[in-house]
Amino acid sequence: MSGHHISSAKFLWAVGSSLFVLTFLTVAVTWFHIPGPWNIIVAIGIAVAKAMIVVAFFMNLWWDSKFNSMLFVMSIIFFLLLIGITLLDTLYRVDPVPSF
Amino acid sequence: MSDPSAVKGKPKHVKHYFVDSDQQFEASKMGMWVFLVTEILFFGGLFAAYIVYRSWYPDLYLQASTELDTFWGAVNTAVLIGSSLTVAMSIRSAQLNQIKGLITNLYITISLACVFMVIKFFEYTHKFDKGIFPGEYYTYEGIAHEKANIFFSIYYMMTGLHGIHVIIGIGLMLFLVVKAKKGAFSAEYYTPVEITGLYWHLVDVIWIFLFPLLYLID
Repeated sequence: MSGHHISSAKFLWAVGSSLFVLTFLTVAVTWFHIPGPWNIIVAIGIAVAKAMIVVAFFMNLWWDSKFNSMLFVMSIIFFLLLIGITLLDTLYRVDPVPSF
Repeated sequence: MSDPSAVKGKPKHVKHYFVDSDQQFEASKMGMWVFLVTEILFFGGLFAAYIVYRSWYPDLYLQASTELDTFWGAVNTAVLIGSSLTVAMSIRSAQLNQIKGLITNLYITISLACVFMVIKFFEYTHKFDKGIFPGEYYTYEGIAHEKANIFFSIYYMMTGLHGIHVIIGIGLMLFLVVKAKKGAFSAEYYTPVEITGLYWHLVDVIWIFLFPLLYLID
C-alpha cells in the first residue's frame, strides 16, 4: 500500500541534512544584503523549497494517495486567494487605515 | 447478513465499519490532512495580517526585526528540523516493529520541543523586560516608529499560536509514549504515531516560514 512507504534511515538523514543546509543558506544570504525586493524573494523561495521537502519526504506526500496531495494544494490555493483578495482592498486604499 | 463485527480474520484494532487495516489507516490519514488544511488556513489569516501590514509599513518591519535575535531564531529552526527528523525516525521504528526505537525517538523529539520552548521563553522574557508587549501595553522607546507595537502584536500572535501548537505536540507525544509502553503500537497498527507525525511536521513547516519572515528582514 502507498500509505506504508518505509523510508530508509539514510534517506531520512539526507532529507534532514538538506534542510539544515538550506537553513544555513537562508541565514547566510542575509550577510550579503541583497537589494530589495530580491531579498524577500530569495528568503521566501528558500522557505518554500524547505516546506516542499518536508511535505514531500517527511509527510510522505511523494508516495501517498493523490487525494491527500490535492487537499494540500487546495489549501495553498485558498490561502493565496485570501491574500490576493485582501491585498486588492488594502493596497489600493486612498487613506490607509487611519486609527490602526 | 450477520453482524459485521463478527467477521473473522480482522485484526483487533480494525473498527467494524472498515473493510481492513489499510482502509482504516488511509481514512485516518486523510482525516488528518483535512485537519491540516484547516490549520494552514488558520495560520493563513495571521500571514495575511503580516503581509497587509508589511505592505503598509515596510520601514517598520525593517526597524523592528532588529530587536529579534537571528542567532536564537536560527537555533530554534535547527531544533525543530531536528525534531521533525526524529519524528520521521519514530514512524520508521514503528513500521519496523521496533517499539524501543519508537519510544527513544519520541523522547528525543519531546526533548527538542522543550528546548524550543525554553529558547522561546527566554526570547519572550527578554522582550517583556524591555517593555515590548503586544498592542496598547507596548512601552519600549527603542524603535523610532509610531506603529512599532503593530509589528510586535503580529510577532506575538504568530509565534504565540505556533508555541501553543508546540505545547500541544509535546502533550500528544507524551500520550504516544504512554501508549507505546503499554504495547499499543506495532507494524500493523501505528496510526496515532503517523498522524501525530503529520501534525508535528506541519508545525515545523509553519516555523520554516516564520523564521525568515520575522527574524531575517534587513
